[in-house]
Amino acid sequence: MSNVESFLLTSIVISLIINTAISLYGVFSKPSLIKKFIALTIFSDSINSFAIFIGFRRTSEAYPSIAVHHEIPRNVTEIHQFVSSAVDPLPQALVLTAIVIGLAVNMFLIGLIILFYKYYGTTNVRKVRI
Amino acid sequence: MDVTPLIIAFIAAIISVVSTWLAVQEKDLIIATLFSAVQSTCYALLYYLLMAPDIVLVYLPVSVGLLPLLTITLIKKTERFEE
Repeated sequence: MSNVESFLLTSIVISLIINTAISLYGVFSKPSLIKKFIALTIFSDSINSFAIFIGFRRTSEAYPSIAVHHEIPRNVTEIHQFVSSAVDPLPQALVLTAIVIGLAVNMFLIGLIILFYKYYGTTNVRKVRI
Repeated sequence: MDVTPLIIAFIAAIISVVSTWLAVQEKDLIIATLFSAVQSTCYALLYYLLMAPDIVLVYLPVSVGLLPLLTITLIKKTERFEE
């Protein structure tokens, strides 16, 4: 891996870290519940991107096309070559379930924010008087 | 090897950082939701360039189509401007 590739991949990881930091700042310091919700969705997407980045492997094949078998592998060396040139599919499966469950949780949070507004008349958490 | 896909991924990462900052700082919540959708589009491109097209097929309708729609209906039911 050359210097340019390592620089680009490191820059992508650093940008994901910066995104995580900015979204956590939005969750903790903004008074509006809707702004907190938007920042929370960005935070979950950044964490999922970290999980994707774990299974990434840069190979010498045609990138970014996917390595697939066109016929049945006949011996062990073909299988070994395929496995050594493919990305890890386990984080992708975990992130798929995480995205779908996160959608359900976000819908639940939207319902809670609507109920909060009906009860208190505002979505600003600093103006709530019980 | 070709470095062009990594350069595209780098540009998408930079755009996602800028749109995240604008989405957190914006007072108008609908514009903040649209910036969040731009960030999600950049993440979908990043997932494709990180060789995960199945996640792109799930992530793109959910996080670019469905969540901004639900957030805009939430804003219509409650408040448009914060503070």
